[in-house]
Amino acid sequence: MSAGAREPQAPAESWADELGELRFRREQAEALGGPEAVARHHERGRLTVRERIRGLADADSFTEVGSLTGQGRYEGEKLLGVTPAPYVMGLAKIGGRPVAIGGEDFTVRGGTSWSGDRKKGGQGGFVEDLARAYRIPLVNLIDGAGGSVTSIQRRGHSVFPGVHGFEQSVALLGEVPVVCAVMGTAAGGPAGRAILAHWSVMVKDTAQVFAAGPPVVERSLGQKITKEELGGAQLAVDLAGTIDNAAESEERCFEMIRRYLSYMPANVWELPPVVETDDSTERREEELARIVPKDRRKPYNMRRLIQLVVDRGSIFEIQPSFGKSVITCLARMNGKVVGIVANNPMVYAGALDVRGARKQTHFVELCDCFHIPIVFLVDVPGFMVGRDAEAAATLREGMRSVYVGLQASVPMYTVVIRKCYGMAGMGATDKNGLDFKIAWPSAEWGSLPIEGGVAAAFRREIEMAADPKARERELEAELRAQASPFRTAEAFGVEEIVDPRETRPYLCRFIDAAQARLRTTLGPKPKYGVRP
Amino acid sequence: MATYEARSEVTGSVWKVVCEVGQRLEPGDTVMIIESMKMEIPVIAEDGGVVKQILVEKGTPVTENQPVAILEVE
Repeated sequence: MSAGAREPQAPAESWADELGELRFRREQAEALGGPEAVARHHERGRLTVRERIRGLADADSFTEVGSLTGQGRYEGEKLLGVTPAPYVMGLAKIGGRPVAIGGEDFTVRGGTSWSGDRKKGGQGGFVEDLARAYRIPLVNLIDGAGGSVTSIQRRGHSVFPGVHGFEQSVALLGEVPVVCAVMGTAAGGPAGRAILAHWSVMVKDTAQVFAAGPPVVERSLGQKITKEELGGAQLAVDLAGTIDNAAESEERCFEMIRRYLSYMPANVWELPPVVETDDSTERREEELARIVPKDRRKPYNMRRLIQLVVDRGSIFEIQPSFGKSVITCLARMNGKVVGIVANNPMVYAGALDVRGARKQTHFVELCDCFHIPIVFLVDVPGFMVGRDAEAAATLREGMRSVYVGLQASVPMYTVVIRKCYGMAGMGATDKNGLDFKIAWPSAEWGSLPIEGGVAAAFRREIEMAADPKARERELEAELRAQASPFRTAEAFGVEEIVDPRETRPYLCRFIDAAQARLRTTLGPKPKYGVRP
Repeated sequence: MATYEARSEVTGSVWKVVCEVGQRLEPGDTVMIIESMKMEIPVIAEDGGVVKQILVEKGTPVTENQPVAILEVE
């Protein structure tokens, strides 16, 4: 039988013909857009959607849904072949746990949308329904340009935006972990959907994401720009933070998705998985006692500090190349998932700028949503200052971050490493919970740093002194002595001062103890109020 | 031989140049120190290499991501 054509069969005693047709239709689906289209796709350095699902999911765990969808080609009643729908999806396992997974098939019409009786993927598709109904994570492997104007010809009318709306995609963000991976060029709806994720990732060099691609940009603005310049990882991840993380290759992308999901619960009604660890909760690292330089002008390596405190090898950093004055990472303490928010003294002394604030806001919401306790490692001199910072609306984005932090109800631990000043410092406290603040002996705090504050508050006294510079230094020294963290601890204004080497055991004990609260406050978190 | 630029991560001014043209640096060595937000922020030679050119001097204002030195690696 040539090209898989099927002759209509007379009623038979067995179902062999029908089973043969099912097999043939499945073979057609497996072939995607055909060998030539698949070869072209590979030449661009990209895997097919089926290779991606196989590469990401546990071996042999993928159970497809909708494998027969597509456009049959018939000659009379003879089925000649099927052009598959440009979306492959179903149920799979990642790390032994079920997930709903799907992705566009770029080899069929560039992964553009398809109109069947029911949508398979994209916003409002079956794959979203599956994730929501079964309360399991959703993984979107995005490689498509969204709608095409050719659909106007096909339908005879143009479709109003939002007929297949994002409401299900939005609801999912409050219920189950959603991961979006941009694997190819994503524009329009698929690009929008890439943002509707708790965590997003894209592949360097072979993936781009934008609202509209170079041809539209050139027609609209006269700008000639390549798609890599417009939406490659350098812009979308490092500069804009549109996508959270960048992966060197598709394979590395799969590893990162598996790793990210290992920290996530299946849904907001469950706690994240706890893993066995042989890293003692009592581990006290000597290096912590000397990591903060005595010279207040000298920064130190906050990433190293995090490594010394959390379970060994447990760090997964979110947005490492964006908003670098803040470090956000998922990690474990005594096997339990925690979110770390740390100011980075190597970048603007850890001052909270617009990008850092945006990153912190999203991360705190992520942890709050999935009942992941947050540890703030605080070394923040305040909001970023200067004209550029004001023009970028640092104050507004910074206060948004503070607002979201103050609304969060997951247990939070404030560990003041060095500076904790002003509104940015306030955003690193657990006002809805125990408001538990511990500090290192190197800690200092206040409404603003003493250096700048003295010059402003004692301006007349300094100006009138015989040696104004010397008087300024004297005043600073006097105030600094009174601002010792030990004095605040006397007043119980900070609940404990720990030897830096005790930080891990101290936190592990309280995070272990917080499990009862976490177990008894599960479920979705209602949001109220208006973010500034 | 390939060259790369060491860039300042922050806006500030050059506080101290701690290398010389022709000097070989190991990966992670400091090229210069930028003063920003009253802190001494190092510019790191990520991949090490030989310093071919220093593009700024003490006191030069620098902006975020500005190249401050060119290094050559094998």
